[in-house]
Amino acid sequence: MSGNVRSGTRIGPGSIRFSYDGREYSGQPGDTAASALLAQGVRFFGRSVKYRRLRGVLAAGPEEPNALLTVGEHPAVIPNMPAPQLAVREGLKLRSQNRWPTLERDVASLLQAGGGFFGAGFYYKTFMWPSWRAYEPIIRRLAGLGEAPGACDLPPIAVEHLSCDVLVAGAGAAGLAAARASARAGARVVLCEREPACGGELEFEGARIEGRDAPRWVAATLAELAARGVRLLTETALVGGSGGQLVLHSEPGGLPGASVLYRVRPRCFVIAMGAVERPIALVDNDRPGVMLLGAAERFLARYGVSVGRDLVLFANHDRVYAAATRLAAGGMRVRAIVDTRTDAQSDINGAGAASLRAELARRGTLCLAGHAVIAAEGRREVRAVRVAPLAGAGPVRKIACDALLYSGGWSPSVSAGLQEGGAREYSSGLGAFLAQAQPQWRILCGAANGHLELGDVLADGRAAGERAARHAGQSAGTAVEAQGRDEARGEARGETHGDGAPRLVAFWRSPAPRKAEKRQFVDLQNDVTVADLRAALAEGFVDIEHVKRYTTLGIGTEQGATSSVLGAAILADLKGEALDQVGTFRSRAPYRPVALNSLAGLRIGPAYRIARRTPLDGWHTANGAVLESSGLWMRPRFYRSNGDDAFAAGVAEAGRVRASGGIADGSTLGKIEIAGPDAAGFLDSMYLTKAGTIKVGRGKYMVNLREDGMVLDDGLVLRLAPDRFVATVSSGHALHMLSHFEHYRDTEWGGRAVTLTDVTEAWGVIAVAGPRSRSALASVLGPDWRGSLESLGHMDFADGKFAGRDLRLLRASFSGELAYELHCRPGIAVPLWQALIAAGLAPYGLEALDILRVEKGYLVSSEINGETTPYDLNMDGLLKLGNPCLGRELLDRPAFHEPSRPRLVGVRARDGRAKFLAGAQLTTEDESRHAAGYVTSAVYSPALGEWVGLALLARRLDEHAQITARDPLRGGDTPLRIVSPVHFDPAGERMKS
Amino acid sequence: MTRLICPFCGPRELREFEFHKTLPAAPGSAFSRTYERVDRHEHSVEHWQHVEGCRGWLLVHRNPTTGEVLETRLLGGAAAGGAP
Repeated sequence: MSGNVRSGTRIGPGSIRFSYDGREYSGQPGDTAASALLAQGVRFFGRSVKYRRLRGVLAAGPEEPNALLTVGEHPAVIPNMPAPQLAVREGLKLRSQNRWPTLERDVASLLQAGGGFFGAGFYYKTFMWPSWRAYEPIIRRLAGLGEAPGACDLPPIAVEHLSCDVLVAGAGAAGLAAARASARAGARVVLCEREPACGGELEFEGARIEGRDAPRWVAATLAELAARGVRLLTETALVGGSGGQLVLHSEPGGLPGASVLYRVRPRCFVIAMGAVERPIALVDNDRPGVMLLGAAERFLARYGVSVGRDLVLFANHDRVYAAATRLAAGGMRVRAIVDTRTDAQSDINGAGAASLRAELARRGTLCLAGHAVIAAEGRREVRAVRVAPLAGAGPVRKIACDALLYSGGWSPSVSAGLQEGGAREYSSGLGAFLAQAQPQWRILCGAANGHLELGDVLADGRAAGERAARHAGQSAGTAVEAQGRDEARGEARGETHGDGAPRLVAFWRSPAPRKAEKRQFVDLQNDVTVADLRAALAEGFVDIEHVKRYTTLGIGTEQGATSSVLGAAILADLKGEALDQVGTFRSRAPYRPVALNSLAGLRIGPAYRIARRTPLDGWHTANGAVLESSGLWMRPRFYRSNGDDAFAAGVAEAGRVRASGGIADGSTLGKIEIAGPDAAGFLDSMYLTKAGTIKVGRGKYMVNLREDGMVLDDGLVLRLAPDRFVATVSSGHALHMLSHFEHYRDTEWGGRAVTLTDVTEAWGVIAVAGPRSRSALASVLGPDWRGSLESLGHMDFADGKFAGRDLRLLRASFSGELAYELHCRPGIAVPLWQALIAAGLAPYGLEALDILRVEKGYLVSSEINGETTPYDLNMDGLLKLGNPCLGRELLDRPAFHEPSRPRLVGVRARDGRAKFLAGAQLTTEDESRHAAGYVTSAVYSPALGEWVGLALLARRLDEHAQITARDPLRGGDTPLRIVSPVHFDPAGERMKS
Repeated sequence: MTRLICPFCGPRELREFEFHKTLPAAPGSAFSRTYERVDRHEHSVEHWQHVEGCRGWLLVHRNPTTGEVLETRLLGGAAAGGAP
């Protein structure tokens, strides 16, 4: 076989070497793994998931349930790739799945002897004694299809956003007709096709369209589409979408790697995705050699592959005769054609099918009407079939063959038409479901819309294309319409005919004795048989959705493409109901498996989450800072030169700040500018105390509330001018607070003249704290600033320049030390920082910052956590001024004064030494099972030589209460005593020096 | 519904907007405005902000069941009222 050069519509001459299960094979350019292997006589492509039965190729498309291969070598393997979609390339390494040690000799297939032991839901009923865990390891080894990859070396994919007037999914006869009609009407069209070539069934049908051979018509249409600017995407499948956006996935060569994800926004969407052929349930219909009729035709026409030498065909429609003629012309011997319909049923319009039948009989094909293939025989692959009459008495024949090609009809691909509206409707003529009740912007056409005859398909496609263009608003006027009519007249001159109407009579399963039903396969991928459906019904799973989940019908990679309607129909038969009553299970996107790599798009690695960095980030990294992500900001937690871990370094850094001084990067501080004639009045409404009373050049500590009265945030508000303020908010909170302000301004404030601007990134902030802070700043800032440094009081600020750039010097302290904040333009942050270091101040990080602020009882989000009121946080002083701000109304409720409400307190260990951590729950002696509060922050204080913390404790307990910090998971219990939250320097003298 | 038409910026993807709240049918007390859950199945009046665009606040009338957007107005300015 390897000597022959095959010819087909998709392949060319040449030789490509690849390996399968360790053996070398060769294929031609354009071959798929399935076609190349079939051409070289390979029949076995894997073993089934449950029973480990040998399997061959069933279909010629992505609906293939059996021939799923693993590509590549451990650990970067890609499992479960359907062989009919995998293009062969030089050096490709393929492996069959689900077998050990080899495909031909599989140890676990001995389980086959168990037969019905593994029926539906077996795992609920077996492997129980002594405990299911005893069986777990071996079940894990056996379960599943492919091997999970241990590494992924796929490159990031490309993502493209498109918008167009009309998107047509599917470039078969209907899709091409629709795209052409839309383009002729002037619409911008995108046409996508999952196969590498366009035409669909026209590739092999031997039809004539508008007086030309179908392939010539396809080529001419594609040329016209190109000339009209239609964008054609081949090897691109529709995988999902919602809300007017559709997602297409392109996988050239059928393998992830050079994938592209398209997000398309069409004004109108035409579904021309055709119909999928379905099998018939008969005994041992999963044997290698049993294949769908259309698949065999495709393998012959596209790749020149003969799937067998002696064929038996089995179907319930007229197409089987045309197919037989084509397969015979391709060199295969058609031994028999088994038609489930009686002669009367198939000869209604007799001429076409009957004459083909006569011709085939003359050439030696046995044509049986009213018969069915009841079993495929052969130990490992098909060697013969048994055929029995459906009615009346008659002999059961055995016909030798090496391939059984069958077709139970076609199920239109309607999944995309059943999302966001659309209603499923049963069509008895097709024995399948159609999607009706479509929204205006979505149209199904062609086989997807239930038309199987070529003339109808083309007309339906054209009508859909015209309607789509109209909906998209591209009625190009009479000129183009006239042209369209002229061309239509030209088209009508040539004849159009394909295979003709199939005249299908629904047939789902061949008769079989009850005990053989467990070998009549309905879903080949999940080993679901007729017996499983019967068992599910007997156990009370009546609804098709329940049956699906209980039996695993249709849950594999092919998502019920070949099995959903078949399974529903057999279930209906078993229930004694009509198929349209039973329905099928809902299918959801993605309509085809999509690699997670493709869905992630470009958001992988560092691009997954943006890191915001301060102007000093480079300096921190270069000088041994350990950065951590705080919100999205990267902030230094500690500096390695000060200690080996966060704890040691934090204590050292905090101690040094109090002893001499230090600098910290506060650039992440949120800053919002509020300006306008009504700025002061606006801020009065947003904060607990009036901003209008702040003098120009001064700042004030301010608190805002949420609408429900809880504390939202705190910070400083500086008044730059009578109508201009800067409000600082917690790091990472800036955008949230900005939205909060904007919402109030645009709604209740009546939008009066106030502008709000986020200036967080316009200013770098350096906190300079400690006894030597003022002298260090004096030496760095120079004589221009001496006056300000000496005269600035607490919360005063001064604006000026440093190195020609704006600088604001603010006297404020978050450490309780004498401290200043430098707000500078980002460009001078690094020089300022370095100058301060040269002046003898060392940097400190978040860990030390936390120690310093807990020592002084300052609050952060641990205390301002959205569940605390200003009363809880001892802000009574701010409240007595009675400013009617946002949140004030709901703040005044009795519940906020109940004894169970928390109160902010300081805590220390009763023995003056023990450690305790934030999160520890606080209990009292008489109520040790319910927490009366919890520790919000806890640090080791170098200034006091012991652990100190802040806690929220029930108001009813006073400072004499004996409380214990309970922390069973981390440290055990620590008895605590209640103290003032200001642990260090309660009078605040260091800050005011 | 994956798009909203911002009166200032034009049609934009939904991910540029942030939903804030659904307004009750009739103005009530501060308590009911803050705490009362509003489920309006056919006609919902909502506040959205175009956070990744003009940062304008929008009053959106939409049908949450079908996703159809009925009307979008920019809040703020002299004509602002806030009430649905």
